Amino acid sequence: MSVASDSPVHSSSSDDLAAFLETELDSDSDSSSESFPIGQAHDADAQLSNHRLKRQKLEYPEDETENVASVTFSEEISEASSSKVPCEHPGTFGNMCFVCGQKVEVTGVSFGYIHKGFKLQQDEVTRLRDIDMKALQSQRKLCLVLDLDHTLLNSTVLRDLKPEEEYLKSHTHSLQDVSGGDIFMLEFMHMMTKLRPFVHSFLKEASTMFVMYIYTMGDRPYARQMAKLLDPKGEYFGERIISRDDGTMKHQKSLDVVLGQEKAVLILDDTENAWPGHKDNLIVIERYHFFASSCKQFDHRFQSLSQLKSDESEPDGVLSAVLKVLKQTHSLFFQDGGEDLSSRDVRSLLKQVRKEILKGCKVVFSRVFPTKCRAEDHPLWRVAEGLGATCATEVDASVTHVVGMDVGTEKVRWAVREKKFVVHRGWIDAANYLWKKQPEENFGLEQLKKQGTDDVTVEK
Amino acid sequence: MFFHIVLERNMQLHPRFFGQNLRENLVSKLIKDVEGTISGRHGFVLAVTGIESVGKGLIRDGTPFVTFPVKYRCVVFRPFEGEVLEAVVTRVVQHGLFAEAGPLKIFVSNHCIPDDMEYQTGDMPNYTKSDGSVRIQKDCEVRLKIFGFSIDATEISCVGSIKERFLGLITDPGAVA
Repeated sequence: MSVASDSPVHSSSSDDLAAFLETELDSDSDSSSESFPIGQAHDADAQLSNHRLKRQKLEYPEDETENVASVTFSEEISEASSSKVPCEHPGTFGNMCFVCGQKVEVTGVSFGYIHKGFKLQQDEVTRLRDIDMKALQSQRKLCLVLDLDHTLLNSTVLRDLKPEEEYLKSHTHSLQDVSGGDIFMLEFMHMMTKLRPFVHSFLKEASTMFVMYIYTMGDRPYARQMAKLLDPKGEYFGERIISRDDGTMKHQKSLDVVLGQEKAVLILDDTENAWPGHKDNLIVIERYHFFASSCKQFDHRFQSLSQLKSDESEPDGVLSAVLKVLKQTHSLFFQDGGEDLSSRDVRSLLKQVRKEILKGCKVVFSRVFPTKCRAEDHPLWRVAEGLGATCATEVDASVTHVVGMDVGTEKVRWAVREKKFVVHRGWIDAANYLWKKQPEENFGLEQLKKQGTDDVTVEK
Repeated sequence: MFFHIVLERNMQLHPRFFGQNLRENLVSKLIKDVEGTISGRHGFVLAVTGIESVGKGLIRDGTPFVTFPVKYRCVVFRPFEGEVLEAVVTRVVQHGLFAEAGPLKIFVSNHCIPDDMEYQTGDMPNYTKSDGSVRIQKDCEVRLKIFGFSIDATEISCVGSIKERFLGLITDPGAVA
């Protein structure tokens, strides 16, 4: 701005008003301010600087009111977009950060089961897990991830129904009211589904202790349909239904899409290999083979439950046993009403519960392991140790059980002489699946000849 | 925001449709092709309201198809940054809310929900104000402000906020006035 233009005489109308107001309001300045024309040089400068100051003062109140409004506005925006701290882009929806709206590189874990296109960064996932942990602790709940197929139910494609299974078609429950129903015909999916006995009571009781997730290798529509059968009111699972379309890896399951801390999550699945990274959280359950096609899938030669026209027993069944284990682990976790729950880890508690099963047993194996391998490395040895038994390679007085395959071996004969228990390896497997020490009489070596040795099943 | 604009499109027509009903066939094909689709610049095309003009058809070399340039009026809908609009809540999760305003899918993260509103879990998860006066759950109408959107071939996703003044719950579906 030049000096001339500052002069009120040559100024525009707005300046005129400002100058006019200055003169009206002015009382402190020197008298020369009353006269508009520019006086002597030094006075002029003083005047001009006065004018400028006063103009600024006059302009300031107007700006102030505007500023106040815009300051609060921008503060609110900045709260929304945390512009005080540069946005960390905790996650994306579509390809935009959902906190500041900028387009960002799409990285992070995809949580497709929450909503399509929804992704969260690892830091945000950790933060959410911590919040979740606190919420769960206050509710005294842990997390439980449930598999569907062969764990809670068994499905078959209608095409694969054997002729002796056709009778089932007349026993199906209506889809309109699924409560209390066990077997359902899903024509639109060309499938028939049988829920495992005890599953409704299981879910009801487990929901008081656990926040439950479904994690299946089926596709999303299948997963949602099964959830409707198991949980018609949506009270057990809500939206926590993870299908293979939502998992991050193709043929494996992982806890990365589960928003719970790993030390508070238990998994119930029939396939151990589906969870390579989380074997310590896993409770392996015996497979539920209701339909013949299911047995065939796993290359079993025994008859399925539908062919035998029978079913698992409700109170003594597998789910009931697993429920007891879950209750035990849950009560151990929340024991003593301790405040320091952050140090508790459900994985070590599960191990602890498992070690109670064969506590006090000392086991020697006879002709179970191939000679060339080290006995301690054999999976069965490991399983037995995990169940709380002590394993040994040689017999002595403290041995309680001899696990063998053949009546003729030295160790077995020694055991018969010393009145020790002689069982085949199914006794250990059964304890592993049923979480309970089984009566040794049911696993005597004579049984081996009857059953055939291709697969061990627990017959009830 | 809705706009009523004129768009142009080259429609290809197979000779079997020629004859008396050429124009009708052309118009119905246009409507079938264009209604419900998303154009990058204009957003979601909701409805064709009329045909401005149909140009001269040109036969495409080597095929029997004829291309007609058609100018048509239609109603389009697209979001803008900073736009405030009403939406219906479709899902409430611990990370925020999902809402829909027609074809727009909007996500309001819990960072953009006022701090005094807390997530309550349950069979009807909701966000409730600390004094209990406001409760936002599924099927509620909320007024929200869009601060980012992304248009792709199949849908328009937006991110919004209800953290500012005058935003938030409009009506409660449970309370009938």
